[in-house]
Amino acid sequence: MRRTDRYRYPVIMSLLVVLQFTVRSRLGGDRVAPDFLLLALLIYTIRAEPGRSAAGGFVVGLLRDALTPASFGAGALAHTLVGFFSSWAKAVFFAEHVFVKGCLFFAGTWLRNLIVLLASGRMQGSQLAWELLVWSPLQGLTTALVGIGVLWFFRGWLSPRRSVA
Amino acid sequence: MAIGTDRYASRADTLLFIGCVALSLAALSLPDQWRNPLAQGLRQTVLAPFLILQRQTELLAAARSRYDGVVAQRDSSALAATFLPELRSENTRLRGLLGLSSRLGGGYVSAEILHQPEPTNPLSFVVSAGRREGVRPLSAVVSPEGLVGLVATVDEHTSVVLSWAHPEFRASAIAVDGSVVGIAAPHGADGPGVWLLELQGVLYRQQVPTGTVIVTSGLGGVFPRGIPIGTVVGPAGEAKGWGRTYLVRPAVHPSALSHVMILTSPRPAGADLRGAFTAPDSASERPPQ
Repeated sequence: MRRTDRYRYPVIMSLLVVLQFTVRSRLGGDRVAPDFLLLALLIYTIRAEPGRSAAGGFVVGLLRDALTPASFGAGALAHTLVGFFSSWAKAVFFAEHVFVKGCLFFAGTWLRNLIVLLASGRMQGSQLAWELLVWSPLQGLTTALVGIGVLWFFRGWLSPRRSVA
Repeated sequence: MAIGTDRYASRADTLLFIGCVALSLAALSLPDQWRNPLAQGLRQTVLAPFLILQRQTELLAAARSRYDGVVAQRDSSALAATFLPELRSENTRLRGLLGLSSRLGGGYVSAEILHQPEPTNPLSFVVSAGRREGVRPLSAVVSPEGLVGLVATVDEHTSVVLSWAHPEFRASAIAVDGSVVGIAAPHGADGPGVWLLELQGVLYRQQVPTGTVIVTSGLGGVFPRGIPIGTVVGPAGEAKGWGRTYLVRPAVHPSALSHVMILTSPRPAGADLRGAFTAPDSASERPPQ
């Protein structure tokens, strides 16, 4: 493990957080624009253990809930579940292919939205279907594309290395 | 190389996960009086820098948008200022047209020049009045300064006007005091005198002093009497035969026009329009274009 590795992840995570609060509003509608915070969480879960991923998801979700108090707790629950299962699935499937990671970002975004919608109970009927079948896949797609771009751009920093036992 | 085999969920991971889920469910079930202060606390502490960053970004974007608007307004103002002298000139001309219309009384149609002639080719142009407006072929086209030309062809709502610069243009002319009679025609198609008129057919024994105002004579029935054509600036050259030719500075240049008036109804015999037009002296002060 390189000495600078411990700094690279925080740099990338910070960059994604900054992007979330700066450029995201100019990347289209709120329901379509990529979710940089969730992307940071999903990239984190690629290498972190499921427990830490769940904790990270809980923190991210709770902070997001603070920005949307109407569904307070739903984001925390959703991000916790997504973080945990993303890390668990990554460990199970051994997937290092960029397409598989893109699918992970897409599925993570869609699952997060599904859980938030169900847990908050804010939408029902056709509105819920519209969100889950149209907007969430679009947001998942944009998030996946950005995630693939980030992985490609920082491939030297994010390439996994076998930990020394 | 995959590193996932050593990251299967351990008991600690599971416990941590369950704890987070429990906390999430607890947050979900929080009453509003607890939930709102908690969210507010997070916004004012952990999220505060990010919210400030987001607000500054929005302000920057708004400032950029406003800057673009200001730049657009400035450009529009600069463009309007560019055309200001032209607008003033057009305003003056329109005021002149209004004055002319009151002096003419009736029997005319105002028209806008649709195809502004090029400065180098003001031979003919299209105006926004046609048969529906009462325009007929060979109608006189005038401006407050004087004669512009005549209508060549008439369409439903437009007409083609031959200006005095057209090679086929001719007008029976007379000095404003009636002392000299001749034919006004364009001086030439090229050279420095291209934008001048000629007064042809002046009797050899007659001398036309420089500055004499030439108007239409009314002969031939095309142009009413008294429309200013221009001002004599000198002889056109050596006299040939039994006639003399004089150069005439036109009263109006077609390329400077934006609106014209087309005389639609025939004037009574002996009618003289000299009093309806502005003094051609002002036109004669302009340098030839």
